[in-house]
Amino acid sequence: MNLLRTEFRKIFPYRTFWGILAIYMLLLLLVLYISRNVMLGGQSMGASMYQFPGLWERFTYIAYFFNLLLGILVIVLITDEYSFRTIRQQVIDGLSRAEAVLSKFYVVLALAVFSTLLLLALGLTFGLLFSVKRGMGAVLGQIDHLSYFFVQSVGYMALAMFFAFLFRKSGLAIIAFLAWSKIVEPVIHYQLPDRIDKYLPMKVFSSLTPMPGREVLDQLTSPTEMLSPAWATVPAMLYIGLLLLLSYLLLRLRDL
Amino acid sequence: MATVLQTDKLSKRYGSLQALDNLTLQVEEGSIYGLLGPNGSGKTTTLGMVLDVIRPSGGSFLWFGKSISKETKQRVGALLETPNFYPYLTAKRNLQVVADIKNADPKNINQMLDMVGLGTRSHTTYKGFSLGMKQRLALAAAMLNDPEVLVLDEPTNGLDPQGIAEVRDLILRIASHGKTIVLASHLLDEVEKVCTHVAVLQAGKLKANGPVSNILSAHDHLLISAENLAPVLQLLERLPYVVQFAQEKDCITLTLTEGYTSTDLNRDMFAQGIVLSQLLVRRKSLEAQFLEIIKKDA
Repeated sequence: MNLLRTEFRKIFPYRTFWGILAIYMLLLLLVLYISRNVMLGGQSMGASMYQFPGLWERFTYIAYFFNLLLGILVIVLITDEYSFRTIRQQVIDGLSRAEAVLSKFYVVLALAVFSTLLLLALGLTFGLLFSVKRGMGAVLGQIDHLSYFFVQSVGYMALAMFFAFLFRKSGLAIIAFLAWSKIVEPVIHYQLPDRIDKYLPMKVFSSLTPMPGREVLDQLTSPTEMLSPAWATVPAMLYIGLLLLLSYLLLRLRDL
Repeated sequence: MATVLQTDKLSKRYGSLQALDNLTLQVEEGSIYGLLGPNGSGKTTTLGMVLDVIRPSGGSFLWFGKSISKETKQRVGALLETPNFYPYLTAKRNLQVVADIKNADPKNINQMLDMVGLGTRSHTTYKGFSLGMKQRLALAAAMLNDPEVLVLDEPTNGLDPQGIAEVRDLILRIASHGKTIVLASHLLDEVEKVCTHVAVLQAGKLKANGPVSNILSAHDHLLISAENLAPVLQLLERLPYVVQFAQEKDCITLTLTEGYTSTDLNRDMFAQGIVLSQLLVRRKSLEAQFLEIIKKDA
């Protein structure tokens, strides 16, 4: 935990950090607010958007898109250590390579906790304002979606962390992160049958917050095979572990 | 005396470039060890390897007779190439991060800032610092947990004459407290002024090493003048220990064989009734020797 304290010393006075975090919060709030006008799963959401208990599934699905911003924030924080050469100095000063990776992973966990709590606060606010049902059962009924969102958020940021350690330059790492998650892997999905591609990392992460009303869509088109959120946590955590290990090996095998 | 750092056939290869070739040397406790060589001779590569940020292609090294570990790292304070800090953090907050990593007492921070003359600038962000201030902050960071050894890579690089003088002064002050210092430099004059031992590197190869006085053991150069030079020149021709001499404008430069000093010359001159108006001892310039060493088996 001392590692996290040191990380906080580095990032709390950093304006760029607060800037990206503020953009994340504002965009999320804005999109959640206007989302009742958006067509999801073939129907306009309207006020039904904010009804408990389905609210949690809808909110986590929307928040899923903003994980990209958190990933970019993580990339900025890690590549900064390379451009300031502070990671080199810290290894000279006694930080082990495993600790260097762990300290960034703690930041990832802290950001995931933050975004999950933010989503909890937003969900409660919108739900208690607009939902018809406000009983304990309704509010907490499907709140487990928040825990899937937490795992997904960690997964996205772990991937961003890996690209940051791999490329060491923010521009390159951000492009690679976006290209992989939005272009390369989706293209691979087209080439592979569902029973295989459902285990690919981005597909696993997106399975954690499935699209609400997917059942309706599946009736219209050919159904896509996906892992259930609960099952997806297993490969998701394996991927997170693997990305951590690869980040460590990159540090171990290359000059700083 | 205990050996602080020992390298054994340390090598580094970058593709086809042999950046460092079988470097074997020992740094003894209490010495100021200079790594001297032109740019690209392998000094920073050497320090990077012993500081655990560059992977050696071959060979090994030991700190205090042990493999490198968190424990040995905390006994060494190092500054490699450039000062490395967070530009948006103040001097004090930067040192706070360093203190966390080195497990140093945060109480040392203000004391170190004062020592390097940044006490009044502790709340200025690093990016607002001049190069000299950055360099001094890096020295403060290196000394934060009172290490036994300081490793400094080109500590006066890019500084103005006043900055250079300040940093040199600081290094000598630190050394006077019994610390061991390993110093890489391409400035001959710096090594000559500061170091007790020197290793000369060129193109990754060790060309010479030992105490500075040994490496610089060449014959002394003398510069003399007198009211009337004619008798002086006559006498010089007869003195057996004068290797060579030459007249320059209103003075004479000469070289003595080893074992003879300016005292012998002065005594003989006086015995012949010649009074010198000037007698200057000049060591053969390090510059000249350096080029000689480098040329030797190039």
